[in-house]
Amino acid sequence: MNFLGPEDAATFAPVIKAFEAKNPDITVKYSQVPFDQLNSTLQQRLGAKDDTIDVYTVDQPRLSQLAAQGFLEDLSSLKDQTEAAVPEAQYSVNLYQDKMWALPVWNSTQLLFFNKTALDAAGVTYPSADPSERRTWEQIATDAKAVQAAGTQYGLLLEQVEAYYQLQPLAESAGGGSGITGKDNLTVDVTNPGWEKAMKWYSDTFASGLSPRGVGGFQTSPLFSSGKVAYFVGGPWDVGAFSKADVNWGVAPMPYFEGGSKATPTGSWSWGINPASKNKAAAKKFLEFASLDTAGNLATTEATTIIPANSAATEQYLPKLEALGGDHAKGLAKLIANENTETAKARPVTVGYIQFEEIMGKAFADIRNGSPVDERLKQAAQQLTDAWKQL
Amino acid sequence: MSSVTRTSISKRRTLGYIGLSALGACIGLLFLLPLWWTFVNSLRAGGDTFRFLDPLQWETFFTLTPSLDNYAALLSSDLGLATWNSIFVSTVTVIIGLAICSMAAFALAAIPFKGSGVVFIVVVVSFLIPFDAIAIPLADLFRDWNLQNTYTGLILPGLGNGMAIFLLRTFFLAIPQDLVEAGRLDGLGWWGIFRRIYLPLSVPSLIGAGLTLFLFQWQSYVWPLLNGTDAQHILGPIALSNLQGQFNVDYGVMFAGSIVLTVIPLAIIIGFQRYFIQSVTTTGLK
Amino acid sequence: MSPSQLRDRPPTAEGQAPTGRPARRRRPPSTIVVAFAFLAPALISLVVLRIAPAAVALSESLFRESFLRGGTVFVGLENYADLFGNADFNNALLVTLVFSAIVNPLQIGVSFLLAVLYTRRAAGSKIWRSLVVLPIAVPPAVSAVVWSVIYRPDGLGNSFLALLGLPEQPFLSSPQQSLASIMVLLSWIGVGYWMLFLIAGINDVPTELYEAASIDGASAWRKLWSVTFPLVRRPLAFVLVADTVSNFLIFAPVQILTKGGPSGSTNLLMYDIYTRAYTLGDLNKAQAEVIILVLLTLVVVAVQFRLLRSSDNA
Repeated sequence: MNFLGPEDAATFAPVIKAFEAKNPDITVKYSQVPFDQLNSTLQQRLGAKDDTIDVYTVDQPRLSQLAAQGFLEDLSSLKDQTEAAVPEAQYSVNLYQDKMWALPVWNSTQLLFFNKTALDAAGVTYPSADPSERRTWEQIATDAKAVQAAGTQYGLLLEQVEAYYQLQPLAESAGGGSGITGKDNLTVDVTNPGWEKAMKWYSDTFASGLSPRGVGGFQTSPLFSSGKVAYFVGGPWDVGAFSKADVNWGVAPMPYFEGGSKATPTGSWSWGINPASKNKAAAKKFLEFASLDTAGNLATTEATTIIPANSAATEQYLPKLEALGGDHAKGLAKLIANENTETAKARPVTVGYIQFEEIMGKAFADIRNGSPVDERLKQAAQQLTDAWKQL
Repeated sequence: MSSVTRTSISKRRTLGYIGLSALGACIGLLFLLPLWWTFVNSLRAGGDTFRFLDPLQWETFFTLTPSLDNYAALLSSDLGLATWNSIFVSTVTVIIGLAICSMAAFALAAIPFKGSGVVFIVVVVSFLIPFDAIAIPLADLFRDWNLQNTYTGLILPGLGNGMAIFLLRTFFLAIPQDLVEAGRLDGLGWWGIFRRIYLPLSVPSLIGAGLTLFLFQWQSYVWPLLNGTDAQHILGPIALSNLQGQFNVDYGVMFAGSIVLTVIPLAIIIGFQRYFIQSVTTTGLK
Repeated sequence: MSPSQLRDRPPTAEGQAPTGRPARRRRPPSTIVVAFAFLAPALISLVVLRIAPAAVALSESLFRESFLRGGTVFVGLENYADLFGNADFNNALLVTLVFSAIVNPLQIGVSFLLAVLYTRRAAGSKIWRSLVVLPIAVPPAVSAVVWSVIYRPDGLGNSFLALLGLPEQPFLSSPQQSLASIMVLLSWIGVGYWMLFLIAGINDVPTELYEAASIDGASAWRKLWSVTFPLVRRPLAFVLVADTVSNFLIFAPVQILTKGGPSGSTNLLMYDIYTRAYTLGDLNKAQAEVIILVLLTLVVVAVQFRLLRSSDNA
């Protein structure tokens, strides 16, 4: 059986080994396609009914389109089991037109990391890891300015500076919603006051020099590891990297806007079956093992620091993650468990998600570089309306 | 000419020699600088990659504690196999491709025939078409022909290269016609003229065309993925790309991999340098 | 475009006659058979591996597919009409034209001067010129990472400017500087490569010609202009056409460094095609855009051939 994904082979070796031990008659062959080419490769090979792919990884927001294109096998028979095994947000992202098309394997969230040395130098108190003491963006910006004044190069940095995944919570918190409305989730709504407020605030963090322009999304976490940033919003995968770097860090909940709601990103990868596959029974067994079986799901996170989607697996996993971070990560397990159930805002389920993400990504980039916010959001809304007309 | 002006000329020559050498060295080093930075950071831990950027310091470009850890990490990746595959695929492409392209260029440059203009248009148009744009329909074709996941499937698209044909034709046109005439009188046929006169006189441009063919394959990235390449047939750029995870990039390892993938073409370029010294006229008229 | 416009062979009588006459005398197979025997492998591979898939693209550009409504419909030239009515596409077209108008003369000028420099008698010139060629061998993803480090606000570029006492520049984050920054990066990658072909051409210039010019007391600049330049016209023509074509197809650095921004200032056609095909999922319109790009390149190349030919006659 063939399995295709963007991670390196070491990531999935444990889950494959465990599965093969349980099912000696099935062998799983993994092949890796670099992340930036995953989508085009899948489009071409699935479109040509390539039967050398049995199981492949599905970026959750892309699920609707893949299902609409007929590139995913219907897994609705596993609906009840899945609903019981994973958090609600992780169940519903796999539904399109009331059928279930993939099983969730990984989950994610975002956390506020801070540089203790930098904060100490400015005499700023550490934010607490307790979700009930969540700080506001306004407070963090003020503190970050003070830290910057005390000699740290940058005050605040978001890991994926131009990604909807990371910026959706800003708009949600400011009351702007996800940016998509309508019956089929194909109506743009990014020009409301909430979106404008969130984006104006975001634009200001760059205009005031709190955050650096011109640092690409893939260079942000090294900047924090080398001690040049006071506050950094990043994912659980950073815990592993930061604990190896010589920076004295701590962790706290992702902030929200004063008077607004609390929202954090969520979602990651599901796995689905190619309808052209000749080994569907084996493929289904493998999916059930990797997602619904606690040990199996846990095995997918053995080599990479990422949250498992399965609730029982998460419970076992989080204390391990906290231990990995040592003293720096005190309270991390409780915090992530809280975010998963209380503040997680999934990306909207829509067949037009890919266009949405791309067009918004460009808008975020321009806003960050100083484009006028109102105008740029209007332009994005127009571009999206055009793009969705083609679907 | 008086002796005074003669010494001043030779003095100016020496000055010119020194000046040109210095200028050449400066420009060469300036071009090297970004790559040197990559090399130095391939000897450092990934976390330190962006540490010594600002302000500029000696550590930006040097390290006192070089470590080969990143290169050791490459050993456990696919990069070794991928490099061999890339060398194999590129070498075959260069050899067969040069044969095909130089024959075509010869026909276009030396043989007068009706329709050569049309053929030349086909050649030019073929290299105006962006390969990535036709890769998807082409991959569908290759699937029908059962060429996915084979070396043949990787090599074929690199063989007919319009730009190489165009290049060779340009240089072939510069070959003096009296040499061809002399060859004819010696009783050479078209094949003889091609092999005995055109090819030996065109070594620099053949190398240039070979380099064009080589780079096309050495950097091929989208095509092998679309053509469904498995771990056995993996190529260098894909293995390099696979080194970076989705969530974290270890730049130390990535730079080490890219140094490996850069050193091989560099060795080839330096190795073939001396042939660029020969000129058509000197080799031809001797 | 007529075939004669594409041929830059000097239309002199001696140019073609000698090869024709002996052929008639010995009655070998007719030249057209010989010519096609030489051409067959290349023609087959070009037609099957390039032209045929391009024809598929051409036909797909006349259809429209909707996965929501299902099915494919023939829409004629509607995809093309839509493109020309689209502000983003028109911007991409403009950016591409501006980019080509600047980057091509720049790269060719620099590679010519470098070729001249590195063919002069000077210490270590073979080593130095290898260094200039080197960047072409660097994997594109890595060049992009290195240059993003150069162009960062706290990066190498600004550090060097500070060393020279110059003010800090925004580079890629400014709509005014981003395209120029991409051009510098591309020139770093490309000029060494084009220089190689010009070196091959310059070495064909008989050294006696230089010596003759030196004895005449010609200045270095005059020699460059009146001896070297006309004699490398042929390789220069190749470099001009090939460089123009490859600069129309620039993609990787834009994708990795700027994603077409800021404010669309680096949205070159090839990148626009990529986003249209894979992120906007509009494959048919992307194919139409490919056809437009190929036609545009064809027109520019045809004009170049024509100019080169008329300067031939002059």
